[in-house]
Amino acid sequence: MTLLKQLMSNRKAVVGLTLLILIILVAIFAPVLTEYSPVKRVGRPHQPPSWDHWLGTTRLGHDVFSRLVYGARVSLAVGFGAGLMITVVGTVLGIIAGYRGGVVDEVINFFTNMVLVVPNLPLLLVLAAFIGQASPLVIAIILGATSWAWGVRVTRAETLSIRQRDYIKSAEMLGEPAWRIMAFEIFPNLLSIVGINLIGSVIFAVIAEATLEFLGLGDPNTVSWGIMLFNAQNASALSVGAWWDLLSPCLALALLGLSLALLNFAIDEVANPRLRTGGMLKSWTRMVRLGEGKL
Amino acid sequence: MTFLLRRIAFYLAAFITAATINFFLPRLMPGDPIEIMFASAGSELSLENLNALKLTFGFIDAPLHEQYLAYLKSVFTGDLGRSIKYFPLPVSELLGRALVWTLGLVGTATIVSFSLGTILGIMAAWRRGKLFDSVVSLIAIFSSSVPAIVVSLILLFVFGYTLRWFPNGYAADPLLDPGLNWTYVSSVIYHGTLPMLTLVLVLTGGFAVTMRNNMINLLGEDYIVMGRAKGLSDSHVMLWYAARNALLPTVSSLAIAMGTVLGGSLIVEVVFNYPGLGNTLYQAILARDYPVIQGQLLIMTGAMLISNFVVDLSYLLLDPRLKKA
Repeated sequence: MTLLKQLMSNRKAVVGLTLLILIILVAIFAPVLTEYSPVKRVGRPHQPPSWDHWLGTTRLGHDVFSRLVYGARVSLAVGFGAGLMITVVGTVLGIIAGYRGGVVDEVINFFTNMVLVVPNLPLLLVLAAFIGQASPLVIAIILGATSWAWGVRVTRAETLSIRQRDYIKSAEMLGEPAWRIMAFEIFPNLLSIVGINLIGSVIFAVIAEATLEFLGLGDPNTVSWGIMLFNAQNASALSVGAWWDLLSPCLALALLGLSLALLNFAIDEVANPRLRTGGMLKSWTRMVRLGEGKL
Repeated sequence: MTFLLRRIAFYLAAFITAATINFFLPRLMPGDPIEIMFASAGSELSLENLNALKLTFGFIDAPLHEQYLAYLKSVFTGDLGRSIKYFPLPVSELLGRALVWTLGLVGTATIVSFSLGTILGIMAAWRRGKLFDSVVSLIAIFSSSVPAIVVSLILLFVFGYTLRWFPNGYAADPLLDPGLNWTYVSSVIYHGTLPMLTLVLVLTGGFAVTMRNNMINLLGEDYIVMGRAKGLSDSHVMLWYAARNALLPTVSSLAIAMGTVLGGSLIVEVVFNYPGLGNTLYQAILARDYPVIQGQLLIMTGAMLISNFVVDLSYLLLDPRLKKA
């Protein structure tokens, strides 16, 4: 509870959370915000922004604003779905490898390093190409299955240092089973790392989904920001001057990324009060090291 | 020496993993793997050519492990099959041509952003807590949350289509003959400016922050205090005591960044219609040219492993302790 209270007194957390909640509300109340269907032809092709169509229309005459607010649902769902998967796998494997040590650690560590040197995006592309017209759900599953390695590395490193502490030693002396130590002694001390991993993974998943769809590997019938980019690019939106078609999903992606990044810095500052002056930067470095936040 | 051998063994294993994924993926998909991979080839290729192509990917009349060995053999002999879209052209040649452009783009962007970021990081650490430090961090936050795809599209819109300062595509003026003369080289630089700027914008912040934090962590070390106590100037201590040692972890972050750089260049090339690996892949995806898509994974993995290896080597040079170990 104190953690939440502290978060609420952090300016970055408040700004980031407000933005994020706003985007979530927009996604939930999409039908209230727009009278247009995101999949129906509701106007002439490539109309500039006007009172009728706040963000103009696409080449197919779809309303850009309505596609944007409905598309937020997909981005958020894929982002948080895949982000959760990545974090759960990364945390569980990281704690087991760090606490168990020995052969278990060797094996997990070897596979983690292996996954880290096989470039992520090309791998995703090959997978998605064979699946063909991947739906958002499929994309989320692929992302979750291939992107957990950074989480393992960070969690493992932290577990290794926690394992040496006295309270872990005493819990072992008292004969607590290993799973209890991992779940109730180690895990609570990793909360800030898990939180940062989760939010970093959400950012990564949102961007990766948009990228895959932009490259034409998604299901073109989905209403999502990535498909909007794909359609706009295919319609040569920029060369015909229809900037609203392409820039609207761009700005939406940037805004969602910014809100999540702000939250991430805030969690780190609250979790490590020592870092408060430079804490934001430190968490940022960690995110960059995680290879997340951009593709 | 053992350090290097262990790394090489590990890289080999990683490369085989990527090849294994390529081998099993079509076979794990529901339906006939040959049908999936060569569906679009059926009408265009002669039966003889199609059979040769199948052979390359290990589709032989034999048990699975023999198919696997046959595939590995073709991969390690550099035979990545032939493109279906541009049929007689071997995938290795198609990707080899594109690789030159990507390496040029990625290499320059990495060097520029690494140098720029390192210098900014040193200066920010020097003036930590001051205005300059905050400005650097502010820039870093924005560049971290805005993805390459958004940066490149916005740059293309502003400088390509609206202001018309830079071209919207290609690596050089298509009317020019490639050659080592100033007209051609300047055209390459002109065409490469926006793609490179995108990558530099996305990457510099990360290097700056890594360098800054490494520096600040080192400032409490004894040898820094000793340098100060000897009466050395602030700039001398910063550059020759702190920065030199802070560079070491920054170099390792460079290896990690390579994946991001390669992925970023992929998007940037598609947006700016730059004839590198990313754009080749994009065309292959649109045409469902599976041999090219699979070859891409291997080439990118290879590039990633080589750059990691270079970083290992430079580590060996920078950190003498590794030689003894």
